[in-house]
Amino acid sequence: MGGIVFSRVRKAFGSFVAVKDLDLEIGAGEFVSLLGPSGCGKTTTLRMLAGLEFPTAGTIAIGGRVVNDVAPGKRNVAMVFQSYALYPHMTVGENIAYPLRKQGVARAEREARVRAVAETLQLGALLDRRPKQLSGGQQQRVALGRALVREPAAFLLDEPLSNLDAKLRAHMRAELIELHRRVGKTFVYVTHDQLEAMTMSDRIAVMHEGVLQQFAPPRVIYDQPANLTVAGFIGSPAMNVMDAELVAAAGGAVAANGLLRAPLAAPGGGAGGARTIRLGVRPEDVLLGAGPLSGRIRVVEPTGHETIVAFEAAGASFVARAAADFSGAPGETVPFDLRSARLHVFDGATGGRLELSGAGPISAA
Amino acid sequence: MPRLLRRILFNLFAWGVVLLVAFPLFWMIITSVKPQSELFRIPPTVWPETVTFEHYWRLIDETPFLVYMRNSLVLSFSTTFLVVVVATLGAHSLVRFRYPGRERIAQLVLFTYLLPSVVLILPLYLLMVWIGVANTIFSLVIAYTTFALPYALWLLRSFMQGIPDDLESAALVDGATRMEAFVDVILPQALPGIISTTIFTFILSWNEYLYALVLVNTDLARPLTTGVMTMLLGAFNIEWSLLMAAAVMMCVPLIILFAFLQSYLTRGFGAGGVKG
Ligand SMILES: Nc1ncnc2c1ncn2[C@@H]1O[C@H](COP(=O)(O)OP(=O)(O)OP(=O)(O)O)[C@@H](O)[C@H]1O
Ligand SMILES: [Mg+2]
Repeated sequence: MGGIVFSRVRKAFGSFVAVKDLDLEIGAGEFVSLLGPSGCGKTTTLRMLAGLEFPTAGTIAIGGRVVNDVAPGKRNVAMVFQSYALYPHMTVGENIAYPLRKQGVARAEREARVRAVAETLQLGALLDRRPKQLSGGQQQRVALGRALVREPAAFLLDEPLSNLDAKLRAHMRAELIELHRRVGKTFVYVTHDQLEAMTMSDRIAVMHEGVLQQFAPPRVIYDQPANLTVAGFIGSPAMNVMDAELVAAAGGAVAANGLLRAPLAAPGGGAGGARTIRLGVRPEDVLLGAGPLSGRIRVVEPTGHETIVAFEAAGASFVARAAADFSGAPGETVPFDLRSARLHVFDGATGGRLELSGAGPISAA
Repeated sequence: MPRLLRRILFNLFAWGVVLLVAFPLFWMIITSVKPQSELFRIPPTVWPETVTFEHYWRLIDETPFLVYMRNSLVLSFSTTFLVVVVATLGAHSLVRFRYPGRERIAQLVLFTYLLPSVVLILPLYLLMVWIGVANTIFSLVIAYTTFALPYALWLLRSFMQGIPDDLESAALVDGATRMEAFVDVILPQALPGIISTTIFTFILSWNEYLYALVLVNTDLARPLTTGVMTMLLGAFNIEWSLLMAAAVMMCVPLIILFAFLQSYLTRGFGAGGVKG
């Protein structure tokens, strides 16, 4: 129960295609994030799942049942809106009770369930207030309560934390993880905040301009991004990317550009012919202080527990994560190295990930 | 100092305007309770020497005033009910549903509102005769609806555009049907707009004169506006006291309606359930 399947789902608004041929299979009880920049179609996807938008093509199934023609209220999903969408003329208690009222739950049971939910969300003292008499965090909890009270097959959450301040957001993140563990239902969580997606999800669906880029667990998304779009979107500071040429060499291939030569090997052997590639390396895999390469420091940003260093080498810009006690200053020359085992190789033309990995130490060009 | 002066001047001006507006009303009430003999005395008496309600009794006893009053009430309530119901549903449709020509319809509605209502009188009259409802209150209800509805639609449309889409979406996901979402969520939010529209439409139909004059010529269906005129035109000399008494009584339903609806308007059904 509660599994969700999108099959070749497409949504067009006039000539503008907001979601393109989406295939997505979400397991029952899974916590899945839809992650992507603003306007990439996350909300549209969620609204189609809730039945608030009708797909232009394709089918959506919930719990094994195709729901394309099922009204939103009959899909047994609960939704938390980015705006919370609390009913302004109803009290907190009436807001939370509303879905039960629509299900025809008897008054006594309704009140008991509302009280139970209010208890878990610490809303007990606020039941008689109107939404506009609440703080943002309290409103958010009421919205959550209205979803929880129904015990639906799946929870759909559209950026529920985006209106909260940083501290409350961190707190609610933990609460939501805990909540998911406790109710064990399917969660589909829309966010453009990679930290939220990385910390909370079983799997992340990264979207860009209406196209699903990658659907995988957070670790895989981070360590093996499917393409340059995902690589650039996930991780902060973003992955360093440089152009390079792939040339065949004894026992594999070598990536070379004006800065470096990096031996590469394909797991199955055979690196393919010579071509243009993009070479990526995460800031934490840039090692400052020693190595065959050298760069000129531009900016040093100490954050407390680490130092972000921006520098230039052979005309390319790099960002490195260095230790908190990093002592270089702008203008100085610094030697550096790259963790060759953690190089990412992408096709220069398509941006797709190439199954190549570093096979030995990096040397200067 | 100039600030104080400006405030004094502003206050004087404001009170001047109030007096200008209020004096005729005051005079109307005063005149309605003066005996006929006191009316044309020079200089006029501001406070009547004798207060009499004989004009009110004569209106009720000797003239069809009460019939006109009943007609006006039936006419205005029916028109208001029809217009508000249709405009509320129509505005909701114009705001929420996506269908071809939606914007065009909205523009067309505005256009009909811009049309001077005089040009529609003859076609409407012929139409009423043709469908056999000429000379009835019903024909006036239809006629008034034709010019009250476009404006009501526009008024309510702008009100409903201010209601966040998410509220209705939330109700739908929570298990409401479209109609239930409309009744449970949209209506309460649109209430201030609906009340404004109600007041507007009621006043419009209560005071309308031209259509009533052309479309109806029997006492059985005549509303107050034309009724009182006919009453007075029939007499050789205009009985001002009678006219003023009629005018005072014509104001009463409007005042009651205002007093009743005003409390709803100011009770504060503001938005605020939606952030961001
Ligand atoms: N009703 C609509 N009519 C036309 N275009 C729409 C409609 N709804 C959404 N779009 C467009 O579809 C695209 C995707 O919108 P969507 O709301 O799904 O983005 P999102 O990923 O949720 O972005 P955000 O993070 O800003 O909420 C946007 O370019 C938007 O302009
Ligand atoms: Mg969105």
